[in-house]
Amino acid sequence: MIQVEDLHKSYGDKAALQGITFDVNEGEIFGFLGPNGAGKTTTLKILTGQLLPSSGKATVMNENTYNNSRLSRHIGVVPENTNLYERLTVEQNLQFFCRLYECDTRNIDYFLEQVQMLDEKKTVVKKLSKGLKQRVLLIRALLHNPKVLFLDEPTSGLDPASADRIHKLIAHLNSQGVTVFLTSHNMEEVDKLCNRVAFIDKGKIVEMGKPADLKLKYARGNAKVLLFGPDDEIVEEYIDLQGIESARKLSKWIEEGRIKSIHSNEPTLADIFVEVTGRELS
Amino acid sequence: MSSISRIKAIFIKETQDIKTNSNVILMFIIPILLTLIYKYMIQGMPEGLAVTFGLLFLAVMIGMYVPSMIIAEEKEKKTLQVLLLSPAKPVEVFIGKGLLTFISIIVFGILLVAIEGNMWDKLPVVLLALILVSIPCIFIGMIVGMLAQNQMATGGIGFPIYMLFLMLPLLTVVNEGNFLARIASVLPTFHFTQILYKVFFSEYTFENLYIHFLAIIASCIVIFGLLYVVYRKKGLEQ
Repeated sequence: MIQVEDLHKSYGDKAALQGITFDVNEGEIFGFLGPNGAGKTTTLKILTGQLLPSSGKATVMNENTYNNSRLSRHIGVVPENTNLYERLTVEQNLQFFCRLYECDTRNIDYFLEQVQMLDEKKTVVKKLSKGLKQRVLLIRALLHNPKVLFLDEPTSGLDPASADRIHKLIAHLNSQGVTVFLTSHNMEEVDKLCNRVAFIDKGKIVEMGKPADLKLKYARGNAKVLLFGPDDEIVEEYIDLQGIESARKLSKWIEEGRIKSIHSNEPTLADIFVEVTGRELS
Repeated sequence: MSSISRIKAIFIKETQDIKTNSNVILMFIIPILLTLIYKYMIQGMPEGLAVTFGLLFLAVMIGMYVPSMIIAEEKEKKTLQVLLLSPAKPVEVFIGKGLLTFISIIVFGILLVAIEGNMWDKLPVVLLALILVSIPCIFIGMIVGMLAQNQMATGGIGFPIYMLFLMLPLLTVVNEGNFLARIASVLPTFHFTQILYKVFFSEYTFENLYIHFLAIIASCIVIFGLLYVVYRKKGLEQ
């Protein structure tokens, strides 16, 4: 669905992208992760046709992306900034885009109901909370039933409940066949939603794969055991997952009834990012 | 999907948006107030002068200010970004945005002539001149909107231009031959003022007006060329 091959983009002397290559399959949720300034938004702007790459190839649905009006009917974009017409109502905002795309205005009520915002239809956008505005942005991108959805930090700055609603809607859309390209620096979000992820740092892809595979690849091979100490305090111990010595230790603790809990101690995507790049995500 | 329906969509949106935009609404009220004040509050004002001021202000300040603010606001609030991601082409965005200003100028122009009264026989010529002069004025407003990074910046870039197009024709209206008038003669608003002056204050004929109409048409072409150059260099969104 999306193909990127040896993509470069420079702004003057500054290289924003230094030869990135990846593809996204139809029906996938693909997470594109990296700290601010890593090249996420530049990649997204190239894929949505807003920027011309310095070199390399970027195609969506086998179409070159730059300034391609044919493509605009098949993609939906949720930008990072909340760029709605603040003086218009929710309905007027959405009607405007329905008219531009010549799509069915009944979609407005359908999607507003999906995100439980039907009561806010006549509300002026500037009176909405950030979470509600984010939901309107998402609906705006969906009105014309796009095949590919590009989301740039869709839950940035939202409270957990609002973020959760957005996540559920993204998952629901994906279950209906929409391919999703998601940029984020929120590892939990990506872990929860994405089939595959790519880490980008300083304009280069430094790791890519399924979240579960990456966690296995970078697993530390030990488990964290919380034990009751002599005075019933909790003591943290780590044991290797291989070897007779670990088995003996664990068996002994179980016999003594000292084990409070055992944790797999697998790395999070954030841990993997730090391990790969040597720096934090945010 | 036709261009017409996308232009119509942008026009409807602009109409809905402008109703609650106090900055722009205020600018629409000023030429009416100006005409009313000159007409009824200044003693000895010659008939036709109030509407001349009003119409010139209408063409310059509405024609240039409104499109510049509309474009700069969309850039500032990043709404232009999503508009350009839609099937709407930049030329449709320009037309959709300019159309509301264009229609408003015509409607308010008729209103100003109505305020002046006893001028209905001159309305066709005045309206034709207003229609023609509003086009380069709207183009200039669009250029200012493209050059400005935000709404605040439109003032810094735009006001010297607006003042030039507004004041120079007024200063030279009765002195066609002097140095200032020669400079002013490149401005479409100078020729617009000349048309209004001849229509309202003397006997007008095709012979003494056509040169001014041609000059306005020529300025439309030149300023359109400038708009195209600025668009190619800056684009709508930058």
